[in-house]
Amino acid sequence: MSEHEFHPSVKQLLDGDITIADLPPELRAEGDEALRLLAAVDRSPVQLPAVSRRVMRAVAARPARSVWRGVVKPRELRLRIRPWLLAPALAIAAALIVFLRTAPTAAPASLVTVRFMLVAPDAREVTLAGTFNQWDAHATPLIRSGPTGVWTATLTLPAGQHQYAFVVDGVRWVPDPGAPAVNDGFGRRNSVLTL
Amino acid sequence: MIIALLTLPLSLLGMQQQGSPIAARLAGRVPPDVVALVEELGTAAATRGLPVDPLIQKAIEGSAKGVPSDRVAAALRLVVAQLGTAAAALQDAGVVSDTLVIAAGGFAVTAGLSGHDITALARTGASVPALTVGLRVAGTLAAMGVPSAENIGLISTKLRSGQPTDDLLLVPAHVQAEIARGVTPAQAAAGLERAAAAQARRGPPPSRGTPPPHPPTPPHP
Repeated sequence: MSEHEFHPSVKQLLDGDITIADLPPELRAEGDEALRLLAAVDRSPVQLPAVSRRVMRAVAARPARSVWRGVVKPRELRLRIRPWLLAPALAIAAALIVFLRTAPTAAPASLVTVRFMLVAPDAREVTLAGTFNQWDAHATPLIRSGPTGVWTATLTLPAGQHQYAFVVDGVRWVPDPGAPAVNDGFGRRNSVLTL
Repeated sequence: MIIALLTLPLSLLGMQQQGSPIAARLAGRVPPDVVALVEELGTAAATRGLPVDPLIQKAIEGSAKGVPSDRVAAALRLVVAQLGTAAAALQDAGVVSDTLVIAAGGFAVTAGLSGHDITALARTGASVPALTVGLRVAGTLAAMGVPSAENIGLISTKLRSGQPTDDLLLVPAHVQAEIARGVTPAQAAAGLERAAAAQARRGPPPSRGTPPPHPPTPPHP
């Protein structure tokens, strides 16, 4: 580019502030030359493919960031504890412990309704004890229906295998006469129920 | 972060206060000497992959029935032996067993079946859940007086046919119905096995829930 400096009035012409007719006659030739030079300027967009190609090549060549390296890389960790936050944090921690210890860990098994029956006309009380109620002789009483001495109970039990016995008057363990039975290991028999 | 840091020691404290799961389940139900024995046997059983629940149940049962501790101890050792027999039999058949199927096998041994019987059922190729039900049903049939040969024949045929386990669970009721008609448990099981084999040759039943065909009436003794 030349070091040529246009007259201020010619600069006004190039800026569009005045027209060539507004110039004094001695500056009109300089004004025409300035306009000619301006018209010769190439205003088409400039393409610089080499630049973008270099940038993309540099990005592609950059090594992938290792996740493992990001995990194991030592970092400085600053922990600021606000004392007033400890109380709610402790409360949340306690609630989490209670929730984790009481949450069910297995899906419930399918349930089957079963009716138990024992004919014991002389009994004053009949209960049912077995694997389904932790062999609790008081947990599941049977109900006497009428004067015939038929005692019944209807339970909903999980599918699977159960062993049980009737407990008559709180002392006598009696297997179900209508069900198969196995040795209980103590010299008695347990009834078997497979659901 | 703060919550995690606080939860860890509190959780560990809670676990220490809770004690072992076996002791927790037996607390207040069983004398201390039986609790100690169940913990000892249960820990050893668990390391062998055996279920612990049958031991806990047997201890609670013995206490509820007022059985002396020495007899409870003998019964507990018998349960461990039966579970061990079942586990070994399943292993012989190459079954990757879980505690449920081992417990089912232990019940079958209690009911009178042998390790060979369990291996025979396990070699039918049935899935572990189906085999679990099959072992329970076979044990129930043994408790009903069905001899091992007819028992294993019937349950093996049922397992090989791939019928739903719901149908398998109906087998004891069918055997009971045949016995009520006057046949022996062996004849009832043999008749049902023939019917199951015939059905297997014809193909699977048209739909689930269809009642099984009535077995041919076995000859009266």
